[in-house]
Formats: sequence, C-alpha cells, structure tokens
Amino acid sequence: MKKVISYTALAILAIVFIMPFIIMVFGSLKEVKQAQIDPLFWLPTNPSIQNYITIFSNGIFLRWIWNSIVITVIPVMTQMIFAALLGYIFAKKQFWGKEAIFWTFMAVIMIPQQLFIIPKYIMFADFGWINTYWALIVPELWAIMGVFLVRQFLQGIPKDLEEAAYIDGANDWQIFFKIILPLSFPVVATVGTFAFISNWNDLFQPLIYLTNEKMFPVTVGLASMLGKEGNFGVEMAGATISFIPTFLIFIFFQRYFTEGITMSGIK
Amino acid sequence: MTSTTSKQSLSARIKRELNKNLLVYIVLIPVIIHFIIFQVYPFALSFYLTFHDWKIIGDPEFVGLKHWKNLFDDEIAWKAIWNTVKFSVYYILPTMALGLILALIINSGIKFSGFFKGLFFLPVVTSFVIIAGIWGWLFRGTEDGFINYLIGFVGIDPQLFLSSSSQALLVLAGLSIFKVAGTTMIYYYAGLQSIDRQLYEAARIDGANSWKMFWSVTFPMLKPIHFYVAITTTIGSFQIFDSAFLLTNGGPNYSTTTIVYYLYHQGFTSLNLSYAAVLSYVLFFIILIISLIQRKYIGKDPNYY
Repeated sequence: MKKVISYTALAILAIVFIMPFIIMVFGSLKEVKQAQIDPLFWLPTNPSIQNYITIFSNGIFLRWIWNSIVITVIPVMTQMIFAALLGYIFAKKQFWGKEAIFWTFMAVIMIPQQLFIIPKYIMFADFGWINTYWALIVPELWAIMGVFLVRQFLQGIPKDLEEAAYIDGANDWQIFFKIILPLSFPVVATVGTFAFISNWNDLFQPLIYLTNEKMFPVTVGLASMLGKEGNFGVEMAGATISFIPTFLIFIFFQRYFTEGITMSGIK
Repeated sequence: MTSTTSKQSLSARIKRELNKNLLVYIVLIPVIIHFIIFQVYPFALSFYLTFHDWKIIGDPEFVGLKHWKNLFDDEIAWKAIWNTVKFSVYYILPTMALGLILALIINSGIKFSGFFKGLFFLPVVTSFVIIAGIWGWLFRGTEDGFINYLIGFVGIDPQLFLSSSSQALLVLAGLSIFKVAGTTMIYYYAGLQSIDRQLYEAARIDGANSWKMFWSVTFPMLKPIHFYVAITTTIGSFQIFDSAFLLTNGGPNYSTTTIVYYLYHQGFTSLNLSYAAVLSYVLFFIILIISLIQRKYIGKDPNYY
C-alpha cells in the first residue's frame, strides 16, 4: 500500500518535473509557424533543426556563449584555488587576528548581494569597467562560502599528518600541495560546481554592468530574446544550447552538489 | 650593546615569523585588500548614497533624510514590500512541503532513487531565464496557452495568468516553487537519513501505522531541518527578482513589483541611484531581522544543529 502511494506520487511528480525540459527540447525542434498557435505543437512529428540554424546564423549567439564561458570559467578556477588556500590558512595556521578576519569575511553572507549593486555600478563606471569582463570577473575572484566549506572540512582532519610532514622538513607550500589539496579535493570540487552554476546562470549582475549586446552572457542574451516577442522555437533552441553546459556539469558532479548543499547547511 | 642584540632578535623574530607564516601573508594580504575594495567600501558607499543626491557629473550633494522620507510617501515602495510578503506566503510553505514530499518519496526505497533525485534537482541548476521562458509559454493567458488547454479538459475557463493582476504573482511563485523544491528536498533527505531507525521500531511495536508514524516520529524529528529550510527559503523569497523581470516587468498594475524589482527599476530605469540605495537598505534590514530571529532561536534550543 505504501509502495503504491509512493510510486503514484513519484509518477505524477516525475512527469511534472520533466515536462518543461521535454517541451524545451522538442519545442526547439519545431517549425517556426506552429509554435505560437497550437499548445501541442511540440509533440514529436517532423522534427527540424531550422531553429538551431537560425540562432547560429546570427553570429551574436556564439559570442554570448563565449562571454558566458569567460565570465564563468575564470572565477570558477580562482575560487577553487582561493577556497583551498584560505580554507587551509584559516583551519590550520596560527596568526594574529585569524578568527576576527574570518568572521568579518563571513558576516558579508548576511548582506543581500543586491545591496552592493548600486555602489559597485558607480565604482565600475569610475574604473571604466562597464561593458567589460572585468566587472564580472574581478569581484568574483574568491568567495567566502567556499573558504568556509574547506575550512570546516580541514578542521575535522587530525594534525598528525601535517606535523609528520613538518618533521620531515616540508614547508607550507609543499604541505599545501602534497597533503591538503589532494585531501580536500572533493570539497574543492563542490566549490567549483557551485561557482560554475551560479556564475553561468547569473542574470542580475550582467544585466546591470553590461549594456552592449556584444558583451552579454547567454542569460542576458536569451532574456533579450524573450523580451522581443520572438518565436518560441528559436528561444527554446537557445535555451537548450545554454542548458547543455549546466546539464553536463550536473550529470558528472551531481554527488558534489547534493553533498555541498548538506555540508553548507547542516553541520 | 643591548640595543644591537634586541635589534638582531627583532629582525630574527620577523624572519622566523615570515618563515613560519609566509604563505599566510602572501595569500591573505591581497584577499583583505580585495575584500575592502569590493565588500567594505561598496557597503559604506551605499549607505553614504542614501543621504546624497548622486550626479553623473560633479560632486554628490548632501540632502539629509530626503530619500528616506520619500520612502514613506512612496505608495509603490510599500506595494513592492507588500507584494514581496505576499510572494513569500505563496512560496515558502509549498516549497517546504513539496521538498519534504520529494524527499519522502526518494527515501521510501523506490527503484532508481538516484535518478529521480537528480531529476527533481535539475531545475535548481537550470537558469531562471530558461525556466521562465518555458513557464511564460506554459502560462500564456490566451485560449491556446498550454495550461489553459489542460484546464479546459476539466471545464475551467481560460485564465489570464501573467496578464492578470490577481494571478501573475501566483504564477511567479509557482515557478520559484518548481525551481527551488529540489534544494529543500536535499536538506530533508539528509534529515530523513539521520533519523534513528530504532524510533520507528519502537513506534511500530506501539502499533502505529505509517500515517501516525510520520506525524509522531518523522515530522518532529525533522524540526531542525524545518527551521533551517524555513529561514533560507524566506531569505531567498525576499530577494526574488529574475522571474518578475523576465515575465511580467513588475506588472500588470505593479502586482509583481517586488522589492528587488523596484530597486532595479528605480536604479537603472529611472536612474535614481540614491533612492535605489535606500531600497537596498530596506531589503538588508528585512533580511537582517530574519537572520537575527534565526540566531535567537538557535541560541535558545540546543537541539538545533
């Protein structure tokens, strides 16, 4: 009986959750004219790749993808490196002001990021960063949440390992690269996957710092298509392509997502 | 003589400290400078802005509490706060309930539970732009809209959805529930797995059925998770922007103008940066109060965390 309820609920919810994605993919394979009139137009008959040809023939779309890659990949890399380094420093090293510095960094989590948007816009206008990659890369070079995760993880690891290495004459850098980094790899990978998803999907910040269509990441680009009363098939072709990187990251690193969420929330 | 030895020992001490903590200084000093430039300074500048008129050219002019006073006379600002509260009401409990239901299903020993966990989590990693694009098409307010087509089968007349000032916010809340329930599911799933099996055994011996077991064991044992999830979804709901920007532009008739949408509109459409800064502080204070409530309760009850 319990099983029957479980499977019935599962079937209904699975359909609800997969439906939008099916409509997206099938819709992207449908002729332009059908898209607006018939709610069932996306059902799989006469697929065509016309919408994909349309979207790529407009060179700007590839440029948007490229912009997204630039403003995503660089911060992801540096955030992983800084999470590991700072996590190690705050977990294992002893120095003046350590706790005060760490908790000052952490306090920023309480501030909604929207509060920084207006002053940052003014600053970036001064720096000449509006409509450049800098506005989206430089502020994102490191993030405190990743540091927190690595620190939590390393605090749970006994000191014996590094002490043995110290006695063998290893210095901090060697200990970091040979012991700490391999040990904390799963957490650093978690930091990377989260950074990837949040930067790739970010709409708010690029919307404000970028006004030139050529500089848009794919989120803002797609949003501008949605706004232009375009046709659904082409929009869904764009959506499908921009979804592929997140989907691949998700498939390969799913474990890190679910573990990361649990780690950050419940200690 | 004594001065040279102490000088030597000082330089030796510095040398020793550098040897010991060189890595710390090399990494931490640039990070602190970065933190001051991109976090501390903007936070202060934003506060400064609320008391000044910002001009594109020339120095900002001090205007005291003008922008803060404007807030109290600005009906749309209050409407935006009210809309955000309404959005939270539509969004928080359903997201928690759906997340819990998904977690219970995944945890009930079904086959391919890993696959379904992934499916339910998929909207979380998908961008708002994609989901909003699909959602907008599903909820088209015309007769050929997909949802209107479906509800037609059970005899419901076509609805306006996003073009109706009484329904638009509900449709946006539905989008957020769909997008975020997967996160809630992960928290609840972790919580379910940490419940001691013996409690169920004991309840079974007492003759409890599944329904009773859920309400007397599972649900109360998840108390810390309920609390944590309630706080995070509440904080998230006050920052809602993307769907209002993408699907309704705050309309119709300001019915989906949320705090952050209004902030965006004031700042970057009306170029009223100082007033937008005031609105961002309003958001900050609301979220601060929620976080302080969280602190207070965690402090009180040792069972949390």
